[in-house]
Amino acid sequence: MKMLKTATVAAALMGSAALANPYADYEGTTLIVNFPAHPHYDAVMQILPQFTEETGIEVEVDQLPYLAMRERQTLELAQDEGDYDLIAYVVFSKADYVYADQLENLAKYFMNPALADPSYDAGDLIDGYVYNIGFAGGDRGYLSGKTGSLFGLPYGSETSVLGYRKDIFEKHGLEVPETYEEMLALACQIPELEPGMGGLASRAASGHHAAHAFLLHLNPLGGGIFDDSWQPIMNSAEGVAAAEALKQIVDCGPEGASTFGFGEALGAFLNGDTAMYLDTTVVAGQINDPSRSQVVDKVGWALHPMGTERASQTGGFGIGIPANAENKEAAFLLMQWLTSKAGDKAVALAGGNPSRFSTHSDADVNAAFPHMATFGEALQYADPDWRPIIPTWGKVNADLGTTLSQVLTEGLDIQEALDGVAERARATMEEAGYYTWQ
Amino acid sequence: MSDKAHERQNPAFYALLVALIFMSVGPIALMFINSFKLDVDIIGGTGGLLFMPTIQNYETALCDILWYEPEHLRFCSLKFGGAFINSLIIALISTVLTLVIGCMAAYALVRFRFFGRDTASLTTLLVRMVPPAVLLVPVFGLWNNEFCLDRDGLIGGAIREAFGGRGDVCLAGTHSGIILIYVAMNLPFVIWILQSFIVQVPRSLEEAARVDGAGPFQVFFMVVLPLIKPGLAAAAIFTFRIAWNEYLLASALSDRDTRTVPILIVNNMSEFNVEWGVIMATGMLLAIPPIIFTLFASRQIITGMTAGAVKG
Amino acid sequence: MNRHFANRMTPYLFMAPAAFIMAIALIYPLGYMMYGSLLDWNPSQSISEAEYVGLKNYVTLFYDPFFRKSFSVTLTFAFFVVVFEMAIGVGLALLLDRNIRGMSVLRTLFILPMMIAPVVVGLMWRYMYHPTVGIFNRTLDNLGLEKVDWLGQHALMSVIIADIWQWTPFIFILSLAALQSLPQSAIEAARIDGATGWQQIWFIKLPMMMPILIVTALLRLIDAFKVLEVILVMTEGGPGQSTEILAMRISRTASEFRELGVAAAMSNYLLLMLMILTLSMFAFTRLQERRSARLAAAIQEDE
Repeated sequence: MKMLKTATVAAALMGSAALANPYADYEGTTLIVNFPAHPHYDAVMQILPQFTEETGIEVEVDQLPYLAMRERQTLELAQDEGDYDLIAYVVFSKADYVYADQLENLAKYFMNPALADPSYDAGDLIDGYVYNIGFAGGDRGYLSGKTGSLFGLPYGSETSVLGYRKDIFEKHGLEVPETYEEMLALACQIPELEPGMGGLASRAASGHHAAHAFLLHLNPLGGGIFDDSWQPIMNSAEGVAAAEALKQIVDCGPEGASTFGFGEALGAFLNGDTAMYLDTTVVAGQINDPSRSQVVDKVGWALHPMGTERASQTGGFGIGIPANAENKEAAFLLMQWLTSKAGDKAVALAGGNPSRFSTHSDADVNAAFPHMATFGEALQYADPDWRPIIPTWGKVNADLGTTLSQVLTEGLDIQEALDGVAERARATMEEAGYYTWQ
Repeated sequence: MSDKAHERQNPAFYALLVALIFMSVGPIALMFINSFKLDVDIIGGTGGLLFMPTIQNYETALCDILWYEPEHLRFCSLKFGGAFINSLIIALISTVLTLVIGCMAAYALVRFRFFGRDTASLTTLLVRMVPPAVLLVPVFGLWNNEFCLDRDGLIGGAIREAFGGRGDVCLAGTHSGIILIYVAMNLPFVIWILQSFIVQVPRSLEEAARVDGAGPFQVFFMVVLPLIKPGLAAAAIFTFRIAWNEYLLASALSDRDTRTVPILIVNNMSEFNVEWGVIMATGMLLAIPPIIFTLFASRQIITGMTAGAVKG
Repeated sequence: MNRHFANRMTPYLFMAPAAFIMAIALIYPLGYMMYGSLLDWNPSQSISEAEYVGLKNYVTLFYDPFFRKSFSVTLTFAFFVVVFEMAIGVGLALLLDRNIRGMSVLRTLFILPMMIAPVVVGLMWRYMYHPTVGIFNRTLDNLGLEKVDWLGQHALMSVIIADIWQWTPFIFILSLAALQSLPQSAIEAARIDGATGWQQIWFIKLPMMMPILIVTALLRLIDAFKVLEVILVMTEGGPGQSTEILAMRISRTASEFRELGVAAAMSNYLLLMLMILTLSMFAFTRLQERRSARLAAAIQEDE
């Protein structure tokens, strides 16, 4: 009844507006949101003024590089009352936050008729992204499943694709690689054909970067981090093959490849130092920006090559509402607006990474970014179980990254190095109680 | 020394001198030049001095305090201006506090024999070596959880009322929190340096003042302080330098309103775009105050450095 | 109030603010850390919620290959940095201890590197070491020489070079000051006796400078354990663990691995080592003072 009254009042105030304004109650609220410094969120910054104009809700953004963002959030979310109303979180933070009861379960917002937009069309959100980034409590604790529920929405999510230099491939009559064998052969063939040019730009720097690059190859080659009973299997034959692939790519890569972080790897490709690039879709917006790139209009895109199977990355960011937020309902409205069909299209046009199927097939978006169709196809193979999103992952990931970097720069034996990682991972898992029921 | 006529020396020495100067200033000059280049020029390698200088990088860095909106920016993401002000507030206040407090302590240690003097003096020496990284964990824990005022309490409530914000009022995230740890970190060093200057103040002057009826505080402020001005200048520069340049503790203690410039620079080396031009511009802006100090007060700095080391 | 009592209180009044601040912001945190190192403690917990695990963190660390590696990287870094800086700094001081026009300009410009922020030093060198964009590889390339993978294969060396650039001037200026405060008479006497330049340096100047040089080296050594930002910006500790000094390992353990207890235990190990160094410096200066006092007394007796 009260709601009806508010609605009528709002409608009356709006005068000519035919519909009630669901945002009226929250007009003048200032939301404090925490976003990463990331190309997708740079695009978001451009559409936020539009949100404020439509709804009257102000948004103040605290943008941080994503590892610093995670540290900041660890601290903020642990307080009784936090500063942030809405946060973007890295996919592997999901485990920590949900486990510590720091993210709002979204059910109560989607149940609230005053907040939930009936035309939202959640079915259009990309399945792999939603299950990977938004869901928790299902299978293996971190996936979707009968016991799972929704804690966040994918936003700035990404999958992996292969970018290649059309001009170089044409010049030497090369075929775009379909399989891992072809790709690895090409990676080392290109430096011979084009002296001074590296084959494939990959990140490899110590820590998170090296681990990420390894994971890119691990799943397509049929490997994994843990088996079904949480025993580490990254040192299996498939794991060794993935590490060998990484080492070969780095060895045939551009100058200094073993220290590349994400930025340097992308920089090398943008600068024309390599002929291929295998990583996230999020870079596509920069390839044709002449102030950044020397390879404007020279890049084609293909699916992540197939090993024993097709399994491209799922990762990137999601947005969620901290349990200690002040303006949760307004935050939900912002979240819903950003991931709505209109919002998703707007951010895609601004150079962001869409999270809906419909945006990938949208005519306007495809006209502006012709690669979007390939990306949409890649999404079918996006693997929600690409990496284990469990609280102990941070530690295993760091160990993996450091050890792999030693493999790349100090020539450690791959099998031995991965055996060491597996042994330490087993100890970590044991301590965290993963073997209690065995 | 400069009064003496310069002896004629082997030209090789001049060559060496020039080479040394080039080596120490070269990297800084390189940063200065690059801060006026576009990223495409830096990466593309249009070498040397043949490029169109642009202030675009500085515009990007300072976009939040410029009175106009730079054309090349779609939105202002770097809040450099705000961070610069934070850095100034924190560095200036902590320098002044450290000097006043450190001076008094150094004076007491030099001029008075009292119970606990040796302990105090030894403690000062020992904590001087504590690296900031060692303080990271405890300071992070204390400033966030223990050094807090209850939000419902009298003072805490008043602060929340006046300044807004949420949750309990903690030292973390405030200017005072960072200032406190900087003062504490710099005190041992300042006390150490100033002791060596105070020792040189003739006792007879102080006694004369005391005979004239001045109390101990008057003697200190009217007689001793003016005489150790060079020492104070040196100590001030060193304290300012640390407070202005420090990254680790500030990054653990600051929140979005109190970030200082070094944090911003490290953050800006974000992995997604290494924007060399803008980074160089922010680096240059951070380096300017210390460079000015060095050029105008190198004599004091050198005195302070030698006093600190030689008179252990 | 009794005047005598007031006078007795004066030193305590002068000491009070410094003592208070150092107590709450240095001593208490250090104690808190000792306690924290006995806990299994993550940043989302307050210290009272953390579980007490006794000396487990210390034992784990002792056998942890990553910690050991980091410890040895720290020692290697500190050793090479101090040795090279001392050699170059003292060498330059001996060479340039004469009246040359432009000496004061050199001294002024020479202290620039240590005055600017470590973060800025790190980013400057990271740029210069860049495999393709950086000035070193570009110069090598222009000269037709092989490029060097500075921050990859030779990361520790590159980091050491950057530190030498920043801190050699410190040693240089201190040794120059020491040289210029030497009694001219001794050197004059040696010259009259026909000592060559080398003999003067070897037998007169260096021995007389030795006390100051040792204190300088120890100061520099202690500071070398504090270096963090330069390396953080240049390499973030990589590749592998090749430049991960202890200070960085501590900060990573605290923020990346979220293990505050382990980080505190690690800090204590580092502190212990520095404590030993500081105490030896302290003991050395005391010894020196006593010896010079004895010497002075002996000279007086002679007269």
